[in-house]
Amino acid sequence: MKYRFTKNTMRFYGHTISIVIKCLVIIISCTTLASIAYAYDLEKTVQKFTLHNGLTVLILERHVSPTVSCYIRYRVGAVDEDSKHTGTAHFLEHMLFKGTKTIGTNNFAEETKILKKLHAVINSLDTEMKKGERGNKRKIEELNHQRKSLEHESRKFIVENEIDRLYTENGGAAMNASTGYDVTTYHVNLPSNKIELWARIESDRMHNPVFREFYSERNVVIEERRQSVEARPDRKLMEQFLATAFLVHHYRRPILGWASDMPFLNIDYMKYFFKTYHAPNNTVIAIVGDVSTGNIMNIIEKYFGDISPQKIPFTHLSEEPEQNGERRIELVSDANPRMIIGYHKPTIPSYDDYVFDTLDTILSHGRTSRLYRTLVQEKGVAQSVDTGNGYPAARYPNLFVISAAPRFPHTNKELEDAIYEEIETLKNKPVSREELTKAKNQIKADFLRGLSSNSDIASTLSYFEAIAGDYRYITNQIKIIDTITAEDIRRTVNKYLTPENRTVAILVQRVNMNMKQ
Amino acid sequence: MNRILYIIFTFLFFSILVWGCNPAPVTHPDLIEYPPLKFSLPQPEKIKLNNGITLYVMEDHELPLLNISAVIRTGSIYDPAGKEGLADITGNVMRIGGTAHLTGSTIDSELDYMAATISFSMDKEQGTATLSVLKKDMEKGLKIFSDIIINPVFEKTKLDLAKELKIEALKRIYDNPQQLAFREFVRLIYRGNPRGCLPSVESIERMTRADLVRFHKNFFFPQNIMMAVTGDITKDEAVSLINRYFGEWNVTGSVAAVPVPERSSERSINYASKDSPQSIIIVGYVTPGKRNPDYYSFEILDFILGSGGFRSRIVSEVRTNLGLAYSAGSFYSTQSEYGVFAAYAMTKTSSTVQTLSAIRSILHDAIKTKVTKEELAWAKKSINNNFIFSFSSVGKVALQQMMLEYQKLPEDFLTSFQDRINGVTSEDLQRVAERYITDRYETIFVLGNEKEFDKPLVTLGKVHKVSIDK
Repeated sequence: MKYRFTKNTMRFYGHTISIVIKCLVIIISCTTLASIAYAYDLEKTVQKFTLHNGLTVLILERHVSPTVSCYIRYRVGAVDEDSKHTGTAHFLEHMLFKGTKTIGTNNFAEETKILKKLHAVINSLDTEMKKGERGNKRKIEELNHQRKSLEHESRKFIVENEIDRLYTENGGAAMNASTGYDVTTYHVNLPSNKIELWARIESDRMHNPVFREFYSERNVVIEERRQSVEARPDRKLMEQFLATAFLVHHYRRPILGWASDMPFLNIDYMKYFFKTYHAPNNTVIAIVGDVSTGNIMNIIEKYFGDISPQKIPFTHLSEEPEQNGERRIELVSDANPRMIIGYHKPTIPSYDDYVFDTLDTILSHGRTSRLYRTLVQEKGVAQSVDTGNGYPAARYPNLFVISAAPRFPHTNKELEDAIYEEIETLKNKPVSREELTKAKNQIKADFLRGLSSNSDIASTLSYFEAIAGDYRYITNQIKIIDTITAEDIRRTVNKYLTPENRTVAILVQRVNMNMKQ
Repeated sequence: MNRILYIIFTFLFFSILVWGCNPAPVTHPDLIEYPPLKFSLPQPEKIKLNNGITLYVMEDHELPLLNISAVIRTGSIYDPAGKEGLADITGNVMRIGGTAHLTGSTIDSELDYMAATISFSMDKEQGTATLSVLKKDMEKGLKIFSDIIINPVFEKTKLDLAKELKIEALKRIYDNPQQLAFREFVRLIYRGNPRGCLPSVESIERMTRADLVRFHKNFFFPQNIMMAVTGDITKDEAVSLINRYFGEWNVTGSVAAVPVPERSSERSINYASKDSPQSIIIVGYVTPGKRNPDYYSFEILDFILGSGGFRSRIVSEVRTNLGLAYSAGSFYSTQSEYGVFAAYAMTKTSSTVQTLSAIRSILHDAIKTKVTKEELAWAKKSINNNFIFSFSSVGKVALQQMMLEYQKLPEDFLTSFQDRINGVTSEDLQRVAERYITDRYETIFVLGNEKEFDKPLVTLGKVHKVSIDK
């Protein structure tokens, strides 16, 4: 789902739910790899530290090139927002690029006075704008005037995009951030001698961020939504699919926020949200590359050691009630037909979740996977078909998802029936030993390939440490994946992939509406 | 013989004037002192096989994998008129359509069982074939890889499948405004050149197996292929392995050059209609390639204008200051003999012309005014510090070296890169801006819903309407 143009086109400071799925697929089993395990025996090579303020640090020395990849994952995301403030976690991620008390300003003492006034004006403006038609137009005009003049005044003190400038100028690559339902991530790859720059910037924005340029950045995230959801029928379908599959759990909301919440994203709530969750005891750091552990730990202790921990509230989220019947929605647009089918299932560390990882591989990994072979190659009903385990995130029970597009002249209906036919086959006939071995081989090889870059390793380590509480989750799966049997697959498919437990979202092409695919 | 190149990267300080008037309790990031970066760049070994295949080999024993990237001098610029898409379909059906010894389905099964991947892709100016296989399966993997390259049979059912999938994919481009806009831009910027002739439903439908056989015969021969071999293998093993599976391949051929694209003779404003809440704006120019001395100046110009992150001018103005776009910036994509530079933004329909005007005035400003010393220093420092990431893996190093030869670039292209960047002056930037990004060479493309634009496009000049077949 991530898209790119040609080289250097742009940086997407975006929400990247696909990362989660990829991570979940990287589950290890390596019995056949035992003899060569020295290079990637993570438990022996990764070093884990916890600072006295609760900050978790994972370090893997890898002296391939003089570069290092740095990941910070905060265990907070869109699920942690209050309902009328959807989009705050993601907007906050943008705002953390605006600098700190010492980065991005030439006179913080003066700047902060203006920002205080400016933020009060924006709040009043929002209050009036929320009234819609009944809002006082003259008051709005006056407040807008005040806003613009305060913004103008504040610009004198702003050194804009300093964090980006510092990283870029010092050779930073792949600098980006992403907000998910469960975690918020900041990462950058640097020449390895520049690690102190990373520590200086990241520790500073962990406790001294300044939310400058709030109003214009809010328009940027609204534009982001327009670009990645409103203009994209496939993404809109996904948004409505999640809102249907989850009746109450917060996975039903868009990470970017509902369109009607976004214009009123509030700075006071953002400050509360930041203070509560962006604390060292809610954070995992992973450093992978050409570094020396002792040196890195000194630097991390120096910069992060004094940041106070916070009391992280235990949020009670409404649990998703059991689904007792199919849910189905349609989205009509000018785009070509496609569909998403999802089934509720438990999340990690449930045994069944690992069975779903294996099933995912059997169904859609490679040209000989079940769904590709039958639907794309043999029956010719599909243009594409894909599956994903752990959608849209993994801290709470989630979905197993099948997304597919029919190939003209075949219809959504024909494709959907063909998918169910494959599921029925799996319910009745166990997968062959060869097919199961193939899936396990693929999972192992994917894991191995995932160890060939600093950033992939740092991403995986920090993700599982944040989500599962221990990065060794990925290595502990050896035993579990190896014990998965054909019967496990059959049982799991029978238990979860039932009509009563499924949600179906169909994209219907406007011109074909009369045909009612 | 292993040639080791020692490059030492050092950090140059320069003070940022805007900071410093207010003392801060902690060290400002600009004042951190860094140890020098020591880096020895290992060079891949180059070997020429008797039949003409060129190999670049580098050992990498970290993981039990073997990776091969082969580059073939071909590409979609060689698609015959009326059969646009042939290169792409040929590569695709080579991969899935079986060989003289194995059916396509058998190959799929064997590769999937070994968790090996073979892929083919066709760009405009090159074809690429890759193999990634576990060390323990490398003989088997290579045998299939060579068989596909040397003896493809293009099974009819697989050709039909590839054509059907391609036709459906072409229809579905319309569903993704960004993909659609950049495709139309490519058509416009390369008009009158094979690079601007793109596949259509009709051109795909017209394709026959004989076309694929001919295309394969024309471009797949040993002298036309180079391979970068990296992984858990010694140089001698690699050479003997490649010799075993490709050594007997002795066909010859030749590939004619295709004329490079010319700059447009007059400014053109193009518009295509799409009912979307957001407009996509692209302003592009044909520019110097890597072999042109202006290349280094243009790299910096592009960086300052829109590809250098949030401090670059377009991002800073259109995104940060005006809040008009989430995605805005520029790119400079180069071949050895030419390049394309384009600035772009995606903005809500009601700010389309405002955004386009903002971008154009930033571009024009580069001609009118010299960049500041600070801006130039920032760009040079950024580009040179980032240079190390061109060598962040063994695979990348080998591929880089191979591509230097493929693109016929001088051997010292990479090693002299940083010095050449450092040698660029603000006068150079102004000169190349004037030479390449002036109005008369400009191709503007806007995709959106003109009825809702803030101003009619025609206020900027004569508008050419592009029709898009759904």
